[in-house]
Amino acid sequence: MLVELRDIDKTFGKVRANAAISLRIPPASIQGVLGENGAGKSTLMKILSGFYTPDSGEILLDGKAVQIHSPADAIRHGIGMLHQDPLDFPPMKILDDFILGRQGGLFPNHRAASREFRELAGQFGFALDPEAYVDSLTVGERQQLEILRLLWLGARVLIFDEPTTGISLPQKVKLFDTLKKLAAEGMTILFVSHKLEDVESLCTSAAVLRQGELVGAAEPPFDTRLLVEMMFGKELPLAPKKTAVPGGKILSVKSVSIEGVRLQIRGVDLDVRSGEVIGLAGMEGSGQSLFLGACAGLTQPVGGSFCLDEDERDMTGRSHLEFKKRGVAYLPAARLEQGLVPGLTLTEHFVLSEGLGGLFVDRKKAEALAKERISTFNIKGTPESVVEALSGGNQQRALLALMRPRLTLILVEHPTRGLDIESTIYIWSKLKERCEQGTAIVFISSDLDEILQYSDRVLVFFAGQVSPPLRAESLSVERLGALIGGKDWENLPKEAVNA
Amino acid sequence: MRKTMVLVLLLTLTAAVGVFAQSAPPAAGSNLTIGLVMVGPYNDHGWSEANYDGLQYVLAKVPGTKLVYIDKANSSDRPGTTVSQLGESLVAQGAKMVIFSSDDMTDEAIKFAKAHPDIFVILTSGDQQWKEGKNYQPLPNMINIMGKVEYMKMVAGFAAAMTTKTGKIGFLGPLINDETRRLASSAYLGARYAWVHYRHRSVDSLKFKVTWIGFWFNIPGVTSDPTQVADDFFNSGYDVVISGIDTTEAVAEAAKFSAQGKKVWAIPYDYKNAIEEGKGVSLGVPYFNWGPAYVNAAKAAMDGTWVNHFEWNGPYWKNINDPDKSAVGFNKGTLTREVSEDVDRFVGQMARGLDLWEGPLYLQDGTEYLKSGQKATDQQIWYLPQLLKGMEGQSVSK
Amino acid sequence: MRDTPSRRVLFQVGAVVLALLVTTVVLIAAKAPPLAAFANIVQGAFGSWDVTSNVLVAWVPLLLVTSGLLLTFTVGLWNIGIEGQIILGGIFATWALRVYGSSGMSPTVVLILAFVAGMVGGSLWAMLAGALKTFGGVNEIFGGLGLNFVATALNIWLIFGPWKRPGVASMSGTLPFDQRLWMPTVTPQSMLSVPTVIIAVAAIAIVYLMIQGTYFGLRLKAVGKNAKAAYILGIPTWQHMMASFALCGLFAGVAGAVQVTAVYHRLIPSISSGYGYLGLMVAMLINYKAAFAAPVALFFAALNVGSIQLPIVLRLDSSLAGVLQGTLVLFVLLGHGVRQRVLKKPQVVS
Repeated sequence: MLVELRDIDKTFGKVRANAAISLRIPPASIQGVLGENGAGKSTLMKILSGFYTPDSGEILLDGKAVQIHSPADAIRHGIGMLHQDPLDFPPMKILDDFILGRQGGLFPNHRAASREFRELAGQFGFALDPEAYVDSLTVGERQQLEILRLLWLGARVLIFDEPTTGISLPQKVKLFDTLKKLAAEGMTILFVSHKLEDVESLCTSAAVLRQGELVGAAEPPFDTRLLVEMMFGKELPLAPKKTAVPGGKILSVKSVSIEGVRLQIRGVDLDVRSGEVIGLAGMEGSGQSLFLGACAGLTQPVGGSFCLDEDERDMTGRSHLEFKKRGVAYLPAARLEQGLVPGLTLTEHFVLSEGLGGLFVDRKKAEALAKERISTFNIKGTPESVVEALSGGNQQRALLALMRPRLTLILVEHPTRGLDIESTIYIWSKLKERCEQGTAIVFISSDLDEILQYSDRVLVFFAGQVSPPLRAESLSVERLGALIGGKDWENLPKEAVNA
Repeated sequence: MRKTMVLVLLLTLTAAVGVFAQSAPPAAGSNLTIGLVMVGPYNDHGWSEANYDGLQYVLAKVPGTKLVYIDKANSSDRPGTTVSQLGESLVAQGAKMVIFSSDDMTDEAIKFAKAHPDIFVILTSGDQQWKEGKNYQPLPNMINIMGKVEYMKMVAGFAAAMTTKTGKIGFLGPLINDETRRLASSAYLGARYAWVHYRHRSVDSLKFKVTWIGFWFNIPGVTSDPTQVADDFFNSGYDVVISGIDTTEAVAEAAKFSAQGKKVWAIPYDYKNAIEEGKGVSLGVPYFNWGPAYVNAAKAAMDGTWVNHFEWNGPYWKNINDPDKSAVGFNKGTLTREVSEDVDRFVGQMARGLDLWEGPLYLQDGTEYLKSGQKATDQQIWYLPQLLKGMEGQSVSK
Repeated sequence: MRDTPSRRVLFQVGAVVLALLVTTVVLIAAKAPPLAAFANIVQGAFGSWDVTSNVLVAWVPLLLVTSGLLLTFTVGLWNIGIEGQIILGGIFATWALRVYGSSGMSPTVVLILAFVAGMVGGSLWAMLAGALKTFGGVNEIFGGLGLNFVATALNIWLIFGPWKRPGVASMSGTLPFDQRLWMPTVTPQSMLSVPTVIIAVAAIAIVYLMIQGTYFGLRLKAVGKNAKAAYILGIPTWQHMMASFALCGLFAGVAGAVQVTAVYHRLIPSISSGYGYLGLMVAMLINYKAAFAAPVALFFAALNVGSIQLPIVLRLDSSLAGVLQGTLVLFVLLGHGVRQRVLKKPQVVS
């Protein structure tokens, strides 16, 4: 289907999210939409998929102007969108989720739907069990489910918003194969991303947005330097890797066993030293989050112990609040679900996290604090901004800004997921600053480059199995990728140095 | 500061009450708006409707009278209100005389009467203006009115005992107080008289059981369910249930059981036409005829002859169902011809001086209540401390 | 359309108009004159100082209850057990008056003791609901409803049992307290007690300040909006839920004490007068904003008191006030929903 956007304009409050954007996407193509966070990519896509109505401008499908008032409208016109945060209904069975949204019939025909589901999944080689529950799926599998669902509903245009975020390398390869197959079948694909390499390896053309405007377009072969310039208006250097000299013991994990809903972790040993960065690698849902949560006192282990600081204070069984008191910070991946409080302003967040005493909030002091943090962490927002009005990158910056000044250990899930390069570099520079002050960091990432770039040592997780700590410099992307996929584990113990 | 304020206000209050408790309000003249506060619905086929009809009688007999009323004046039906506040609402609609028609309104009626010395107040079934009573508390603007329905309860008990096949009579009681004890006991006295003197059975072979539900009518979740209590009676061999409550569940249940082929009967209370609900199962109804007493009170308020007093009006023995003269009556329902004649004979005996409140009578715990040949005084009857010996059921609420 | 304060007001007014329309339809269906009915409610609520003072009498406990509920709503809890908390407040206050009333202490001291006892009673009962939720995993709505039943049963048992009138148990409640122990009223006829009005106004002011200006209030807000994030931010979550329960129960307990000492001067079976449920409606109607609690509670109190005129003058059931209150809440909630659909808020730009 030929998709044409003409002079799309959309304003939120004082922010012009889309300014007269025109774009033409022919069928059987993969259109990349590039831009840093807040550039207006998601807004444009949400207009196309009926979540927003544009202030002005028109949408043409195969040359005919259409009005799209709702996502249901969009799907009737053959437009389906996969969101950055999958919008499914976790406590449901996969098949029920699949059927949802289908028009007509009071009683869905489960048997027929199940058959069609299996056929469709087979076409793309997706191994999804229709009787399993949605909340047991990884992010990558949820994407697969969403793709199947939208295709089944008759989508001819598929919009992917940051689809490579939060999925592992093998899943990404699988996704790209799928997208290419879909395009080959005549589908129109819109691929929204801030990851240059993804766009470069996949798209048949790319459009770049900056501050709500369409600033340029490119065809393969892509010139990376040019794209970066269009996105940021300048080139960004990568910070050189510095290896900190590890100091005293911060955290010792002794043969810890944890039981999750679907997997068990047995006998993990790890000593973390001051100033060290530990990366936890693995496919989504392999046990890393469970382990990180246990290090924060959010999940209680079924065996083993956690000790903090040089004096090896036993914290096993203590609550997160007690870990926090001893200088442990936990930054969750689900920013708006676990990290921040929607509805509260930045100022209110800072007031809360500082744990200031006294009865009444000192408004002046609070605002001064907020202003200082906002400028230190370069957050695009005012002290009065509610956190849900911030873009993902700025929410992440806010999370970092909420950390108290003196910390011994930072536990962070996906520190740069969904962020553009500029934010990524910035956030790691802030984390590294902490390391230099002696704070240790344990982080989860599905971005292998990120793991290798920033970690001193790496723990690989595969289906609850945990590798001994591996020195980052001894690993390559290929090696790490293999380990994450469950290969090559037999040679591991020998390599376990400095465990 | 606060304490001073409290004290000052308290002093004002006490002083004000002292000042007000002086004299009856001035005559109302040729027009009188009467306010009626009823505890239940005005059409409850029971106590409240009997009062409502009494006022309709006043409107018909006394020119210049007008009625404003509020029903369901209890804190369950009208949460957040107080009875005195409801009385004030009636005053705001022009009422110069307010009738609080339930014993349950006593505290509020007294409060109201003290606060509104210019309003004539009737507290139906109260005893506060009874000089010889235990709770005498003179208020010049208040009178108490009650009917001697005890006699009619005796008739009810009589009819029940003449009809029962099992010799087991149930009494569906409201809450336990002086009034309900004496009414239940009166019914028992009538039943016992019939059992011994008309049916010639031994006293001990008559079973008479009282079950209290907790209030004058059913309040779900608060009182026992009268329907359930009536069912229990009928299911355990009690074939006549005398209702002491203000609503007609006993009759409805008797009709239900009767439709299933069981031989059971019930006797409602309060309201003359209450028997209509259970044609064929209602033996009759002891009822109040408030009209004449309310007419007297209205006239007294209008012509300035109002004096605070207590009245306990008996039946007009020549015709207990005379609407202009008898304060209480018994409206016969489904009775066999023989029983009907015996009822008339029994009423005739009482009219000629038969007094069942005569010794020897013993209280439930065996202590002597009246010596042989001793007749009970009004006070002894009004303040009956327990049920009588031979009755089964609670005498005092636990 | 954009969401502006003036448009927001428009929606509120629209909801009120719709609620009035529906009530009018109900009235017409009942063959009653709608205008006369509304006029009578207004007349019955503000027609004279007497009735207006009755409105204030109802306003005091309603405002107290609403104040407490704002705290539990802020922390994200549906404290439907508020009715039971009022009842326990009434019971504890009655207990204090029975124990200390004849001790020779000054009436002021005894009354203060009664209020403190009421606070303790309401608070304990609320914390019971909180404990059921925190330690027993019982949703506060179900726990609260259960505790309401228990409280009613306890109250009735006391009135018909240990605290019954000498010789006679009565639905009209326990024996009235000695007149010394009644809260002072503005005139002997009135039930309006100035100190209770001051307490109620102070309560809503305290709650307003607490939510707007204190760390505690901010923490409550954070827990209410996102308990998980609040916990990770370092706020002890269940402790704050418990504290808000305790405080809400405290206000409800005061309402119970007011009912006992100022309105009924005794413990009656329906001592809570349904103010708990009414307070929930007020809180929803004002969208949990303390600033509007006082006027809206006054409006509800006026409806309650004014509607007494309906059976007297128009022979209508006074539950019409309930119909109006109910539809009002429904339409305002509906209005919120529609407003969020029609008027777009500034949204995430990404």
